[in-house]
Amino acid sequence: MMEFKKKVSEMISLWIGEEVAVEWRIDIKGVMTGWCRLQEGTLILPAAEAVACLEGRLSMITAYLSEQAKLKGVREISFHFDLNGTTLTLSIELPLEGARIPSLTHIFRNADWNEREFMELYDIQVVGHPDPRRLFLDKSIDPAAFERLIPYSTFSNGANSKALWEKVMAQNNHTGKEIP
Amino acid sequence: MSTSVIKLGPHQLALEEPMYFRVEVDGEIVVGLDVLAGYVHRGMEHLVMKRNFYQNITLLERLCSLCSNSHPSTFCTAVEEVAGIRIPARAEYLRAIADEIKRISSHLFNCAIIAHIIGQTALFKTVMEIREIMQDTKESIYGNRMDLAANCIGGVRYDLTPESAAYLGKQMERMKGPLDELYRTYATDQAIRTRTEGLGILSKPDAVNYAVVGPVARASGIVYDVRKKNPYGAYDRLRFEVATEQGGDVRARAMVRLREAREAVSLIEQCLADMPPGAIYADTLPEIPAGETIAKSEAPRGELIYYLKTDGTDMPVRLKWRVPSYMNWDALQVMLKGHSVADIPLIVNSIDPCISCTDR
Amino acid sequence: MEALPENDPIPPVRLYRINAGSCNGCDVELATTASVARFDVERWGCRYSESPADADIVLITGPLTVRVRDKVLRLYGEVSEPKVTVAVGVCPISGGVFRDSYAVVGPIDRYLPVDINVPGCPPHPRALGAGIAKAATLWRERCGYTQPSPELASPGNYDGDAVAPTGLRGKMRFNAAACVGCRMCEHVCAGGAIRFDETDTGLHFTLWHNSCAFCGLCSHYCPTKALSVTDEWQMSHLQEDKYRLVEQGVVSFVPCTDCGSILLPVAPELLRVAYRETSREIERLKTLCPECRQKQSIGGIRR
Ligand code: SF4
Ligand code: SF4
Repeated sequence: MMEFKKKVSEMISLWIGEEVAVEWRIDIKGVMTGWCRLQEGTLILPAAEAVACLEGRLSMITAYLSEQAKLKGVREISFHFDLNGTTLTLSIELPLEGARIPSLTHIFRNADWNEREFMELYDIQVVGHPDPRRLFLDKSIDPAAFERLIPYSTFSNGANSKALWEKVMAQNNHTGKEIP
Repeated sequence: MSTSVIKLGPHQLALEEPMYFRVEVDGEIVVGLDVLAGYVHRGMEHLVMKRNFYQNITLLERLCSLCSNSHPSTFCTAVEEVAGIRIPARAEYLRAIADEIKRISSHLFNCAIIAHIIGQTALFKTVMEIREIMQDTKESIYGNRMDLAANCIGGVRYDLTPESAAYLGKQMERMKGPLDELYRTYATDQAIRTRTEGLGILSKPDAVNYAVVGPVARASGIVYDVRKKNPYGAYDRLRFEVATEQGGDVRARAMVRLREAREAVSLIEQCLADMPPGAIYADTLPEIPAGETIAKSEAPRGELIYYLKTDGTDMPVRLKWRVPSYMNWDALQVMLKGHSVADIPLIVNSIDPCISCTDR
Repeated sequence: MEALPENDPIPPVRLYRINAGSCNGCDVELATTASVARFDVERWGCRYSESPADADIVLITGPLTVRVRDKVLRLYGEVSEPKVTVAVGVCPISGGVFRDSYAVVGPIDRYLPVDINVPGCPPHPRALGAGIAKAATLWRERCGYTQPSPELASPGNYDGDAVAPTGLRGKMRFNAAACVGCRMCEHVCAGGAIRFDETDTGLHFTLWHNSCAFCGLCSHYCPTKALSVTDEWQMSHLQEDKYRLVEQGVVSFVPCTDCGSILLPVAPELLRVAYRETSREIERLKTLCPECRQKQSIGGIRR
């Protein structure tokens, strides 16, 4: 296991040209996960090459925007790879505005849908994606749905639920409107 | 080459769910494919950020009814990992039972559809009737034929009494004969073999390249099963073979599923035999601290992965998951190429695609 | 030779299914009503049709997503009049657990007229059968057929076999006497099916079954089991009753027996949970406001 851990950090360090530290966690079943934050967004490209050399596979890509990160003026993306049962998560930070990242599609084919998906949900541009069309979102939905739609949907949905409940309460005994 | 493009919808594809294909054909032969998704996109990854952890248990169970138990159980595992909760041993077995019951039903549904597409109506009905034994079992133990409501944070919310355990054991006994018989039929029946053998081949190198998972990967010779590679819950104590085939065709994928259904019966029996007595859930209302984690499981269609990020409140900052079907669509490019348009439904259904899972 | 009956035999009623973005639970269960003998819609004089143009009854599942909307409406339009429309599962009826999403535009009755609702998540095949039987009757009425088909002759048959399947997770029941007003049920409910309204008389509880996913989580987390799961599965109803399908109850406020201020009485179920047995001493504390209770038990208000 020591050897495996060493191999992984050495390979990534070699490809990105600087020392990286991977934090390893082991759960009660002995399943290992690795966590590593890269210093710069563009480093994901050489890091992905390193994972490919380790015969890893891309499992999933998670883009997210936490309040905490927003305060720092950044957004994050985590790339989850599978190394024969061990999940390695490489995270990067990108600016809130004008975030751009290189496509991994030429290294991992299945990056295609993952990238198309976070492009439509967040304000992130993928450079070099072969087919950057929308994937799941209807044309009528605003781009970067998760960033722009949150306030809008709270408003619209509240309205939907509220209208239904008004009808329910109007047709049944307890109107709940007795408070002056 | 003079090619044209045809558009196929759920009816032509023999799918229960709306998914559309733009297929490039040269005469009757498929040369290219574009999958048009999103018709079942319900914005679920957005919804889960607006709901608390408890609500998300039920919401996630409605992601897809065919693998409905895999989602809440994997999500709960992620929450438990962040909160440092160790669930009782009994709960681990009860989760495994729920997952394996769902696996059998799911695999049988796919086998039924395959028979339906081939035009074997009698076999289709037979498989659906066999599946009813599982449906009755789910209903009697969990109260619903599709959504089991088995999980809660910290464990499970159902228990097996000696009587219900005996009932489950009896139902599993009832499944053995029919499952063996089905395996034989799908393996040897001449009409089925003619239609499925050599059809929609995905070679092992292609399977690796397209990063497919689950029965699709195992039918192409990739020995990968999360229950073995990444044990969770009770699986580190359960004995089973990873079902693998080398053919990489429609037939091999059906064979993998039927073997897994048979193996699942044995897993449930092991659980019934080995399950210790005791509590079924840990703390009822745990604090969920800030943290991040990964949880994985082997859903009926393959590797399921959840990423959870929390900030100490009772709603996730981010909950992201990738379903097995998501990985397998792309490989249809390889499987369909060179086959006739008439074979599209059979090949598509051989990856047992789930659209509600894919679109979320 | 005897003459053949005068009446033409009633033609089978043709069903067409439309998936409006469901989790597929309702669809997979509908599939059993075409393939499993004991649930087969044939017994209601129905059969499935592959084309909307050859259909009389439309069965719609799913919450209606933005992207599928136009396709659903187009298919719906292709079904010739007169037709009967059935909303299958709570998704099309109320949006179900997906109601708050940006990608969902239902409930379906915002876009087309619904005749019958079949709540459930997913509904049991028997419940589907009952809803389909109702729809078939309605359709025959609309077409002016006077004679009921043999299977439908006795009204008792609408509900399929009378026996409830064992252990089924059906309609939720509320027992106001056991409710302590902690609102945990409302908190855990994914369907947004539970609502509390506070008035001067008490705490009013409403559960709308058409928004309920029948998951039982509210009951699981209810400390006094004021909410319980029943095995009642027969809930299909006409559209006009859509908003009346509720479970309600009031937890009345009582005045504090000492100072008279208004309080929510402590349910005996809670006392049983907290103290196992209730003694007369504890019983008395039930109707005291928290301040007076404290006075009673520690002989004065702590400052
Ligand atoms: S009502 Fe429930 S089972 Fe039916 S489609 Fe909606 S979520 Fe799925
Ligand atoms: S059973 Fe209870 S928690 Fe579940 S959806 Fe219905 S009201 Fe809500």
